[in-house]
Amino acid sequence: LAGAPLGSRAAALNHHAAAFPLPAGADLSRSALVAPLLDLPLAFLREYLAEKKHLGGLLILLPRNISAKNVEGNNDDKGEPKNVLAELEKLLMHEEVPFPVYFAFHDDNLDNLLADIRKIASSGQPASASTGGYKLVVPSAEPKKVSSPTISNIQGWLPGSKGEGDAEQLPTIAIVANYDTFGAAPALSVGSDSNGSGAVALLEIARIFSRLYSSPKTRGKFNLLFGLTSGGPYNYNGTSKWLRSFDQRVRESIDYAICLNSVGSWSHDLWMHVSKPPENPYIKQIFEDFSDVSKEMGISVGIKHKKINVSNSRVAWEHEQFSRFRVTALTLSELSTPPEFLESTGGLYDTRESVDVESVMRTVKLVSEILARQIYGLRGRNIDVFADNSSLAISPHYIRSWLDLFSRTPRVAPFLQKNDPFIVALKKELSEHTTDVHVQNDVLDGMFTFYDATKSTLNVYQVASVTFDLLFLLVLGSYLIVLFSFLVITTRVYGPIHFCKHN
Amino acid sequence: IAQHQAIRPRRCPGAGDDDADEMTVFHFLNCAVLTFGPHVVYYSATPLSEYDTIGTSVKAAVVYLGAALVKLVCLATFLKVPDANDSFDPYQELMKILIGFIDVAGLYFALTQLTHRNISQNHKFQAVGLGWAFADSVLHRLAPLWIGARGLEFTWEYIFQGLEANANLVMTLSLAALGSLMWLRKNKPRTLIPIIYACALLLATMPSITSYLRRSLEWQTPKVVGFELFSSLVMAFISWQLFSACQRPM
Repeated sequence: LAGAPLGSRAAALNHHAAAFPLPAGADLSRSALVAPLLDLPLAFLREYLAEKKHLGGLLILLPRNISAKNVEGNNDDKGEPKNVLAELEKLLMHEEVPFPVYFAFHDDNLDNLLADIRKIASSGQPASASTGGYKLVVPSAEPKKVSSPTISNIQGWLPGSKGEGDAEQLPTIAIVANYDTFGAAPALSVGSDSNGSGAVALLEIARIFSRLYSSPKTRGKFNLLFGLTSGGPYNYNGTSKWLRSFDQRVRESIDYAICLNSVGSWSHDLWMHVSKPPENPYIKQIFEDFSDVSKEMGISVGIKHKKINVSNSRVAWEHEQFSRFRVTALTLSELSTPPEFLESTGGLYDTRESVDVESVMRTVKLVSEILARQIYGLRGRNIDVFADNSSLAISPHYIRSWLDLFSRTPRVAPFLQKNDPFIVALKKELSEHTTDVHVQNDVLDGMFTFYDATKSTLNVYQVASVTFDLLFLLVLGSYLIVLFSFLVITTRVYGPIHFCKHN
Repeated sequence: IAQHQAIRPRRCPGAGDDDADEMTVFHFLNCAVLTFGPHVVYYSATPLSEYDTIGTSVKAAVVYLGAALVKLVCLATFLKVPDANDSFDPYQELMKILIGFIDVAGLYFALTQLTHRNISQNHKFQAVGLGWAFADSVLHRLAPLWIGARGLEFTWEYIFQGLEANANLVMTLSLAALGSLMWLRKNKPRTLIPIIYACALLLATMPSITSYLRRSLEWQTPKVVGFELFSSLVMAFISWQLFSACQRPM
């Protein structure tokens, strides 16, 4: 980042395996440490990084079910693994780590390996060439720079119906969500909540509004613009490029934009983040709509105002990019405070278990009802447009299947090619519900440099110690000497006595 | 940036740090000495070296290679490709045994047809047997050893292969001894003749016997190698007795 190296700087691994508890005097500079997540003391790691001590490599074993909720489904009591993992990720991403760090999931093979390593270590000798044991090898070439990391923004329109006398362009409401993630292990960053939930909510909103807009009788007088943006973790770089690509008139026609970020695991409270002051009439109107609908739904929406500091390049919320282009925008999120740089970007701990379908459904209902009130002028009337069991009901199955797909797909932007099947799938899905679907490809800003090598095969070898080889040599030597003596005695000494005849 | 991976045990030619490379080359050298050392020791310990019989051994080695080539052609021509269920087909096994007799023919050729300098009969069979066994070890065991034993992962495989080479040497010498009895010695005690032929037959079919043990009875490698070593010693003893018995009347 801006020339400063961050994260693990090495990929190739070729060292003897060691595990906790470490034998005394263990020299870890030639060892690869294998540690289950919960056994890894973060203080130990921090000490290593701070004192620039050498470690051969680190293999962290993750439990299969990382963000398991406890029985009541209470999200506040996040399990220990989730917290530990979040802390670990933060440490790995913000420090320069000179040794390779790999993640693997627990399975029988690895558990047996770990038990074996511990058994060998308990005999008191540190793992090295002279004592034998296991060797971990990852034959990886030097990681190469990803040359031009692309970001792909996907947009689709639902055009409103122009009346007979309408000369000017119809106003537009934009719904935006970033679909990419970032984490310490890019191949494992599936970001279900950040921001799989937002992107799936967007798709569902597009789906139900496309039903309304399919018939001219129910088409509203607003255009709806749906944007799936990329480059979110990097100060919403993609959103900025996307907005810049618009014609100025189109941009000016946007009444306001609703950005969705992390809406998958809340039960009662949602936050509306704005950069314009709440006294601003537009913001006031929108917030009133939000309060009305939320009251009806039995949830609460709070408003949080954060001024933009133009000189600061940090963009914490997506709506700030809109505000820089003078478009009114807000971000709807379950997070109450703006995330730090590279925080809440869908890392290792953000798996399928950390989102639930009901939260996403509630978000969709909230946003859809608000849009309907604006578009169809239903303010003040107590109408539930997207009622359950109606033809416009929000579909939990749709949301669930898309959440499942998002949770299976790591989506770190520099590692997603322009024609990645996932991007194609998103484009196809958006084309099902909207028209004028267009993918805008751009290059991520030069401030970030990414290195490839996200996934490798680990080879584990059982190696014999040098002492074994020496012992073998000794035995072999004595065997040959005995053979030699035997042959000499039998053929030269006794030989002439028995075999005395020549032909 | 940290990464994610999967485990798959696999051999990987020593892409390692320094002491690992030394260790695996060490293992290769150990196994090579085990495989080829006894041949060298045999040559230097016995009077073979005094009488400079290396020429005979070399000629025998060449005959072995020729016989191996003929065997290969016959195997390719007459044997079917083994099908998946890997059953024991008696007809195929019989073909393999018959083709194995090409080895015996080769030994016959080496013992009787090649011109040797004036060396005694018992030295002749030893030299031929030695050259034959050495060529066999080189052809069948050197390449796997070079490729495999230098790998990172430790296995017992090459040590077993070396032990097999030892057993093979003993058996070849015994077969050569019996061969020289059968074809080079004219007057033998009548009662011993059937025993000689029986033992020779047993030795000639030994490869088929071991492959039968390995495949059909599914013996593990240590057991098979143990059997080979034991049987080679037994056959050597019997051959020695037969050979010395044939010497006595003269």
